[in-house]
Amino acid sequence: MNVTAPMVGKLISLDVKVGDPVKKNDVVATIEAMKMFVKIYAPADGRVKEITSSPDSVVNPESVIMVLE
Amino acid sequence: MREIYKELAQRKEKIRQMGGEKAVANQKKAGKWTARERIEYFFDPGTFTEIAPFLKHRSTAFGMAGKDVPAEGVVVGYGKVNGRMVMAAAEDYTAMAGTFGEYHGKKFAQAIDMAKEMGIPFVGMNDSGGARLQEGIDTLEAYAWLFKSQNLASGIIPQLALLMGPCLGGQAYHPVMQDFVFQCRKTGFMGIAGPAFVKTQLGVDIDLETLCGIEAHAVKSGCTHVVVEDDKDCLEKTKELLNFFPQNNKEKPARVETGDDPLRLVPELDGLVPEHTLMPYDMHEILFKIVDNGYFFEISPDFAKNVIVGFARFNGRSTGVVASQPNWMGGVIDCNAADKVARFVRFCDLFNIPLVNIHDTPAFMIGPFEEWKGILRHGAKMLYAYIDATVPKVSVIIRKSFAGAYLGMCCKDTGADLVFAWPEATVTIVGAETAASVIFAKEIKGAENPEEVKATRIKEYRDLYENPYSAAERGYIDDVIMPSETRKQICSALDLLENKTVARPWRKFSNINM
Repeated sequence: MNVTAPMVGKLISLDVKVGDPVKKNDVVATIEAMKMFVKIYAPADGRVKEITSSPDSVVNPESVIMVLE
Repeated sequence: MREIYKELAQRKEKIRQMGGEKAVANQKKAGKWTARERIEYFFDPGTFTEIAPFLKHRSTAFGMAGKDVPAEGVVVGYGKVNGRMVMAAAEDYTAMAGTFGEYHGKKFAQAIDMAKEMGIPFVGMNDSGGARLQEGIDTLEAYAWLFKSQNLASGIIPQLALLMGPCLGGQAYHPVMQDFVFQCRKTGFMGIAGPAFVKTQLGVDIDLETLCGIEAHAVKSGCTHVVVEDDKDCLEKTKELLNFFPQNNKEKPARVETGDDPLRLVPELDGLVPEHTLMPYDMHEILFKIVDNGYFFEISPDFAKNVIVGFARFNGRSTGVVASQPNWMGGVIDCNAADKVARFVRFCDLFNIPLVNIHDTPAFMIGPFEEWKGILRHGAKMLYAYIDATVPKVSVIIRKSFAGAYLGMCCKDTGADLVFAWPEATVTIVGAETAASVIFAKEIKGAENPEEVKATRIKEYRDLYENPYSAAERGYIDDVIMPSETRKQICSALDLLENKTVARPWRKFSNINM
């Protein structure tokens, strides 16, 4: 399952590592946009399979930040 | 007993059996109550009176001649809910699958007309297999009767739709055009077309739940306002919501003794908001602490989560609450959030429910995604709704309230009667960094030490404008208050505004960006 951002912003941190188990609504990354830190939540329970973005990159609602399995 | 009395009893008993034993058993197997069980649970015991149980279709085409459809597939009547009169129509899936034909529609429409004329809320319980195709144009025209009746009643009486079973096709405009839509988690479905039609017309394979279930409408489309677990939960939550409404637009909502001191201070609010201005927090924490007894009935909690809307009481007064949610997308207002707020504000205005607006929002969302979706015309709905609204409006600025979002969340001159701000509030046209980089662009570029000049200029701008005092000096903020005083100030303000009246020249409507 792909994790995407709800809005355009600069990725400032990845808060999990490949292999980490996550629960639905856990914070998995943070972006900075519109003068705010915006948390990205896990859309479902699972495990981080792959991280497909890097800090300081700009993400948007169509870019995949990481993949859960 | 006279024969004719016996006949009446027999005829009524037959109708009360609905679609018969087998159909009723199937209804139960599907996890649903029957229409009559729903009605019985919904109304105060013994108060329900049925209207037109004998109404019957007149169709003869395609096997309809002489076909018996008990109560025409919809049980209609009036009775008391929480001690107040309510009109209801409950579709009966056991009677020819609750299909919507000419007289089924007529019953529905007449019930709404009567509710409108008597000034009582209407509640529709949807559970229908769709249009009764055998009746052709008569069915289609009956949809028009229904839509016309509910439209003409809109803004006069509260109308609630309960999706307890399927409601597919054009009929689905019926729930959506009412004020609030409840949807049962496992059995409620709504859509412009079901999976079979989507498959034949578009070649798309999709199941009913994905296309028309709660995820589709309470999360993605925003058509559903309240997700409920089952029939019982649905009817209970509906009664709960009705408590916040007046019977019609000429009344105020009933005031309730809640036992919560209106002058209560909330010391936990002092220092609750993170000092680092980029850090989010959950706005619910503030709401639960300021409303009477922490009781808040949230509307559309899973759609456009960047803004929170719902009903609560302050000093026993039913109040509509609109609040930014910094925890989701930083509380920015996007197209969906604007739609959610605008319709909620319009409802409260129609039914004399005062509004409390809690700001912590950086902006209307910028960038190509929202620009092209039309953030301007969607955001405009908020401005229109707030400026149009004549009910009491109290705004509280917690932290950020910038630019268009300050206006969109209801500021002094977009309609707030009273505006309060916390000491943390920053109310201005734009953030200091952006402002400095525009105003002093040349100076910074030409300086020997641009970073130093930039930092100085940002600080100057911040000191002048990033606070609540510059707006308070102009009278756009009525007072800067301690967070702990928020509840007390809101309750006192609503006391002051109790008999607010507004006179405006006649016009048909404002041309809201619909």
